[in-house]
Amino acid sequence: MTETPIVEFRNLGKEFSGTRVLRGVELKFERGEVHGLLGENGAGKSTLIKILTGVYSHSEGEIIVEGKPVTISSPMDAHKLGLGAVYQDAELIGSFTVAQNVVLGGEPGRFTLNRKAIRDQGAKILKEIGLTLDPDRIASSLSAAESQLVILATLFQRKYKLIVLDEPTARLSATEAELLFRLIRRFQEEGITIIYISHRLGEIRQLCDRITILRGGRVSATLAGADITEERVTELMVDKTKNELEVFNPGLARPEGMLQVDQLSCDQLSPLSFEVHAGEVLGITGPVGGGMELVARAVAGLVPHHGQIKIAGQTTDLSSPSKALEAGIALIPEDRRKQALFPNMSAAENIALPVLSRLSRGGFISDRAKLTYAEQVIKRLQVKPDVPGKAMKFFSGGNQQKAVIGKWMSAKCRVYIFVEPTSGVDVGAIRDIYEIMLGLARDGAAVILISSSMREIMALSENVIVIRDGKAIYRAPKAKCTHDQLLGISMTGRVA
Amino acid sequence: MAATSTETKTAAVAAKPAVGGTESLGLRLLRRWGTIAIIVLVGVGFSVSSPWFFTVSNFNNILFSMIVSCLVSMGLTYVVIAGSFDLSIGLTVTTASIVTAYLIPVVGPWVAILGALASAVVVGLLNGLLVTYGRLSGIVVTLGMMFVLGGLNIFLTNGYQIAVPYTEKAFLFIGQGTIGPVAVPVIVLLCVFVLAHLLATKTKVGHYITAVGDNPMAAFYSGIKVYHWVILSFILSSLLSGVGGVILTSISTSAQPSGNSNYLLEAFAAVFLGATTLGKGKPHVLGTLLGVFFLYMVSAGMSMMGFPFAMRQLFIGLVLILAVGANALLNREEIHLKFI
Repeated sequence: MTETPIVEFRNLGKEFSGTRVLRGVELKFERGEVHGLLGENGAGKSTLIKILTGVYSHSEGEIIVEGKPVTISSPMDAHKLGLGAVYQDAELIGSFTVAQNVVLGGEPGRFTLNRKAIRDQGAKILKEIGLTLDPDRIASSLSAAESQLVILATLFQRKYKLIVLDEPTARLSATEAELLFRLIRRFQEEGITIIYISHRLGEIRQLCDRITILRGGRVSATLAGADITEERVTELMVDKTKNELEVFNPGLARPEGMLQVDQLSCDQLSPLSFEVHAGEVLGITGPVGGGMELVARAVAGLVPHHGQIKIAGQTTDLSSPSKALEAGIALIPEDRRKQALFPNMSAAENIALPVLSRLSRGGFISDRAKLTYAEQVIKRLQVKPDVPGKAMKFFSGGNQQKAVIGKWMSAKCRVYIFVEPTSGVDVGAIRDIYEIMLGLARDGAAVILISSSMREIMALSENVIVIRDGKAIYRAPKAKCTHDQLLGISMTGRVA
Repeated sequence: MAATSTETKTAAVAAKPAVGGTESLGLRLLRRWGTIAIIVLVGVGFSVSSPWFFTVSNFNNILFSMIVSCLVSMGLTYVVIAGSFDLSIGLTVTTASIVTAYLIPVVGPWVAILGALASAVVVGLLNGLLVTYGRLSGIVVTLGMMFVLGGLNIFLTNGYQIAVPYTEKAFLFIGQGTIGPVAVPVIVLLCVFVLAHLLATKTKVGHYITAVGDNPMAAFYSGIKVYHWVILSFILSSLLSGVGGVILTSISTSAQPSGNSNYLLEAFAAVFLGATTLGKGKPHVLGTLLGVFFLYMVSAGMSMMGFPFAMRQLFIGLVLILAVGANALLNREEIHLKFI
């Protein structure tokens, strides 16, 4: 590989309001290689990709595309340079056919629309990359997996040089994944570079020519071929230097049971039973999209599910989010911007939302009571800046997260479910959030922590379940687990 | 070793939504022809109740009365397809009409028509620019434009109508002439319909406007100039309203400074009623034409049978809600959280 690399990072760094998330990244992506990108949550993977695709701009260093330094200041710039990404919530024009989507933007002809030519061209591209899909199917009828494959076809049609795939198999069945791998190899033959982000070591060994492991915002190592072993990868991923920063759960569980889940199952999740005592923190981990998120969605009433759920011994109906809330279940979702916050409303209004009836007098909300209440919560959770009247969107990720937690704190919930509570949270706030979570357990709530970060799981939980491919493959008290062992189980699916 | 781990997956593959082949024939027919069946049934009902309804002259009357409304509605269709709203169309008709009547004595009828259409295009361009580069919502911008045009119209005319001289035979032919048994404006309407329909279905213009309205983000990433197509949809909307204004001037031999507010409401009713025809579930030019026809047919039929105006309004409102509601039931989304 002596050609000029397709993309090269030189001394790349990124800083978010004083916090360094990437530093001194030196990385080359060669033409036609599949390059794996690994790292724990917060290691800087997604920041690196967002810089490459123009979502963020970098703070320092250079990006060189095919030998020429470039500035990528918007997603459009990245697309013009032939750099694209397929995200999990893939986007297509729902009312168009598969062929129309594939050809979109590159239709033959000047003014008139030749539907037959579009169909033929779309069908030809599908055939060329070996995708057996009916070109006349309407895009809105495709499954998530099929949409992903069609998006890949559109990128192929537009002659992309580099494509980022972020956890592409998270929602795919085995056969669909196999189809995706074939597609990736086909792209490789065409000289297209693939950056492959995944936590599944099996796939990575099967596909990638080289892998780069990020740790704490730096390149930990780049490995090739036979050097990619489980031991090496775990060793390189784990950041040993940060251990002293961590909080530790000394064991807060009380004897009385709080949440009892019996044979809970939904689409993509095999029946699962577990129990969480009052004051206990249960950690659920596994690869992204492997089913751990579904536990939260099912218990919070967001997806249809089977099985019995008892709270404090009482069978509870959790068929909708409002029923789950009535039963005392609070969900702190991962995507707080979309699912938990009202960005244009003030911090006080966000925080006071679930307890408004308590702050009302004669049916009218007392502004003063609302403000006093919000001030209390803000002080208790150390939300910064402590300005209750400021619109939520102007707070940093970490403080937004605190506000989401604050929202539920005095709603006196009995079960708190946290999904990736520190993703996108600035380092300074992580410790505060951990302390708040342990505080909830100390007050006797049952806490479920769903996280792909082993550090988080090890720091906070008392018991651990690993879910992969929709099944609980490992469960043990935290005392019997080690960080590397859990990471190994999650990545390979094998219990040593 | 680890490579085989993906094969152990036992979880069910995401269920594919039932679209196309799997649903019953009856449901498919209902979705495609339901609204049209209602239109035909209502027409048959009128024909049975009144001997004058199913006659050439009555249909000629219906077609003639719906010309301006039809042009306005077809224009609006483009904006709604692009995912926005245009509330300024009704008053654009008035403005174009006033400009025409004003300019005829000054520059002659043909340049006057061009001037009227140009002023309509300017309105559309402004709307489009404000909605895209100005980052404003379509409802707010065009609502504002509606008030601005309303004020301008009164200001230009002092509230009096402007007459077109009876000597402008050629200009008056557009609105009042006939070719054989067919009125000239009906021919103009049919020509504009054919052009608008072809533009929407057989050119990149319609293709890209549809893409932008369906998923602007995906269109943006496909290298489509999203803003340009949104602006063009607003221009098309105003332009067709402008054509309506010119014809209206010719039909009534004058420009009225007010009183064209019903076009806006009729256009929205027609576009959303039309969206439910032929199983498309979204607005299309042919559907809009059918929608306008239905509105005017009901008006004509019910007045023939002696129903008061209030009954007609009531009936049209119910049919609109019923048709759109039934259509929404047939195309159920998982969670409904959009309330525009």
